[in-house]
Amino acid sequence: MRMRAKVLAGLGAAAAVAGCIPVQIQAPDEPIEINLNVNIRQEVIVRLERDAQELLEQNSNLF
Amino acid sequence: MKRTLAFASGAFIAAALAVAAPAWAQANDPVVTQARAAGAIGEMTDGYLGFAPGASISADLRGRVEQINIQRRQLYTRRAAERNVSVNEMAAAVACEVFDHRIAVGERYRDEGGQWRQHTAAQPVAKPSFCP
Repeated sequence: MRMRAKVLAGLGAAAAVAGCIPVQIQAPDEPIEINLNVNIRQEVIVRLERDAQELLEQNSNLF
Repeated sequence: MKRTLAFASGAFIAAALAVAAPAWAQANDPVVTQARAAGAIGEMTDGYLGFAPGASISADLRGRVEQINIQRRQLYTRRAAERNVSVNEMAAAVACEVFDHRIAVGERYRDEGGQWRQHTAAQPVAKPSFCP
């Protein structure tokens, strides 16, 4: 009976330790988001290069 | 209501025509050009002209620069709508071109971090990080 209790307690401790490990793996979330934004933005700007050149040429009085 | 609408569309067309003036009819405002060369005003990475810190800016110059920025914003807004992007994205794309080609040696500009710098022979223009 006592032995069983010990085994159970041991199992409980092991489970607790095991359970703790995945909980601790939740650190980075912001940097990923920022990188994504930069990528999307740059892609859009690359796509707008021709338009930007055209606006400058056609409105040289404003630049 | 109908009249307001007609007036609004009339004003819009007038604004569009003013913006779409032919290239041959355009000349840079000498007052603005001079202030640029003197480093009192300069390009910013957001696609607009700004006033350099410490420079004394006359009311006349301030008005001219603000007019230019209003017209730039109209350009950006229209093209952004045509391309389905945000006005800021269109403005940033133009800023990339400006920072690449249109800031002469001697002129000042505001970099991405908000610092005012001068384009010199030894120090080329700092390209914004969002530019290709």
